[in-house]
Amino acid sequence: MLLHFAAPFIFVIVAAAFIALNLLISRLLQPRVPSAGKNTTYECGEIPIGSSWVQFNIRFYVITLIFVIFDVEIVFLVPWAVVFKDLGWFAFVEVVIFVFILLVGLAYAWRKGDLEWDKPETGKFARDAAPQLFEEVGTERQQTVQEVTL
Amino acid sequence: MMAVGLNHFLVLSALLFVLGLLAVLTKKNAVTVLMGIELILNAANINFIAFSRYADTDLDGQLFALFVIITAAAGAAVALAIVLNIYKQMRSVNLDEADTLAG
Amino acid sequence: MEFSHFLQINLASLPYFIPELMLVATLLALIIIDLVMKKPSSSGWLAVVALAGVLITLITVVNQYNLDSRSLFNGMLVLDHFSLFFKVLFLLAASLAILFSMASIELAGRPVGEYFTLLIALVLGMFLMAASTNLIMIYISIELVSISSFVLAAYIKRATRSSEAGLKYAIYGAFSSGLMLYGFSLLYGLTGTLDLYQLANLLSDAVAQNPLVVFLAVLFILAGFGYKIAAVPFHFWAPDVYEGAPTPMTAFFSVGPKAAGFALLIRFFVSGMSQPSLVESTVWQAIGNVNWPQLLAVISAATMTLGNLIALVQNNVKRLLAYSSIAHAGYALMGTVVLTQEGYFATLFYLVAYYLMNMGAFLVVIVFQDLIGSEKIDDYRGLGYRAPLPAVAMGLFLFSLTGLPPTVGFIGKFYLFAALIKAGEQYYWLAVVGVLNSVVSLYYYVKIMKYMFLDRPSEEKATALPVAFGMNIMLIVLMVPILLFGLYWAPLQEFTRNSIQFFTGVF
Repeated sequence: MLLHFAAPFIFVIVAAAFIALNLLISRLLQPRVPSAGKNTTYECGEIPIGSSWVQFNIRFYVITLIFVIFDVEIVFLVPWAVVFKDLGWFAFVEVVIFVFILLVGLAYAWRKGDLEWDKPETGKFARDAAPQLFEEVGTERQQTVQEVTL
Repeated sequence: MMAVGLNHFLVLSALLFVLGLLAVLTKKNAVTVLMGIELILNAANINFIAFSRYADTDLDGQLFALFVIITAAAGAAVALAIVLNIYKQMRSVNLDEADTLAG
Repeated sequence: MEFSHFLQINLASLPYFIPELMLVATLLALIIIDLVMKKPSSSGWLAVVALAGVLITLITVVNQYNLDSRSLFNGMLVLDHFSLFFKVLFLLAASLAILFSMASIELAGRPVGEYFTLLIALVLGMFLMAASTNLIMIYISIELVSISSFVLAAYIKRATRSSEAGLKYAIYGAFSSGLMLYGFSLLYGLTGTLDLYQLANLLSDAVAQNPLVVFLAVLFILAGFGYKIAAVPFHFWAPDVYEGAPTPMTAFFSVGPKAAGFALLIRFFVSGMSQPSLVESTVWQAIGNVNWPQLLAVISAATMTLGNLIALVQNNVKRLLAYSSIAHAGYALMGTVVLTQEGYFATLFYLVAYYLMNMGAFLVVIVFQDLIGSEKIDDYRGLGYRAPLPAVAMGLFLFSLTGLPPTVGFIGKFYLFAALIKAGEQYYWLAVVGVLNSVVSLYYYVKIMKYMFLDRPSEEKATALPVAFGMNIMLIVLMVPILLFGLYWAPLQEFTRNSIQFFTGVF
């Protein structure tokens, strides 16, 4: 049984030795002329512009999220589709209900403006447009109550 | 060559589980911790599928794995949204810095 | 075809699933109403719809009481008195939580469509938790409860402490459910089944072959259950979440998901990990030599001791009540370690008592939070003079939490200790720990009372506080049953005793 591992084991050793040998040879032969240009990121010979740590737009996150949620539902639909003929109408109705509930979720995302790339400045809901106003109303109420009581 | 058997899967899943545990217990970045949790969930998934394939004839285990994938996606989505919200407020996702509630 | 048989069973199960379907309908209605309504002022309507849905569900649940126990959906769920008991408890807790949310100013001016939708989803998850008999169902129901509660805890988006509560809840929750899942996978590997009743049949072989693996699996699974009931050492999230979450939700988390965790714990260990004793029909035995009752006993003792000791040094009332609720999970666990009908009855009875008194205590916290804008014990100074009714109510709730007569808390603790003593000498130590803990808890409960009644308010704060009429009504509604059941508890006792009827499987 152990012998079965001999072939991959020898392979690993040879591979490691090969890399180590090559690194050693180049270390011995190479000329050392350090310069600042050599430390920059390689960008097809051009001088790189800006940092390579690009921050992705946060909107991608919401889109990805919606995608993931609607993507994994396929996991439920595929097994059903495979045996659709055997299961018949009852299972069909079940799946329709399932998809309907998912559609309500999609409608929710749509209505809340999460499918738009540019969120409109003045949303369909006043509270979407100026949530901080509502926040202020809440704190104001709290303050008034406190003032009344103190 | 030797055929891949149940034990190989179990060792793999145990390794994944321990790696996930390690990530959860030692890392401070909330996103890394969540990745560790994903490792734990997938370790369990490998167990389920391997047992279903080798030790048992029915599909219960594979079914379980499907449900785990779904709930893990939903859970990760919610957890990441909360992490994002924390980042907006504290400019950090370090779990050690989220300590306004300690007392 | 071979499928048609399963489909027939599913179809036949639907009429017994009406309460859950009602909740789903309420949930969808809430989303759709929230999407269609244009103005934020519709929030009052959403609360009314949610409350109506919960109450209609309550009626359908009560209607199920005259049905026989049965298995639903090919062994996924069961309908028995045990699950119905918990469903009633969840619905009562949810309706109070909705009323608290409407009355509290913490959520005023915020969009509440998602809030109530998630609350109903949480209740649905707890329903399934109380009724599941299959590991898949257990996992899904726990996740449904967890994910909804993460969002609810973090609901106040702009408040750092609310987001932080959500983050801690989510990370600990996902971690412990991952551990539990790994435990499930080990159990599945050992027995080849996900059904609790088959598990009970096959477990003794598994224990004989791999005692260590079974023990490990039980340990992992206890991580998941322990997280839900906030038992040591999976309690770390509780104080932070309870302090940071909106207070109506804190009240609900401390009662609803905790009770659901107990339902699941009891069901899992009764149906899956033990068998009825051959000698007596009201006693169960652990299968094999995996001594999980002893493990539960240690967890129970550690939970109440740690909860009470840390509660002693708290100066935020919400946080203090969080530690006290950890301690109470320890008390309630005492009933589950003895594996007798008496013990389960005591746990269930205590959960009802705990529901009344803890909801009450948090309601008082909400009242004072709205009026003085603080949860610090220091700011409670002299509130007994400025707002007599909430302060007196707080006194009653705290007495009940301590377990002093004539309150329902006393009766609950009495049954717990009685069950322990009856079970035999090996658990006397646990009873002693429980009594000592009750004494310790008296100190910090009385501390709140001292601040409220013995300390005079400073001169500039000596005015009376205008307590809202609705709050007063709710306080009285919660005070009455605590006193009533403290003096005449026979109806509650009978109702609870009837609820210890587990579906025993079809094999």
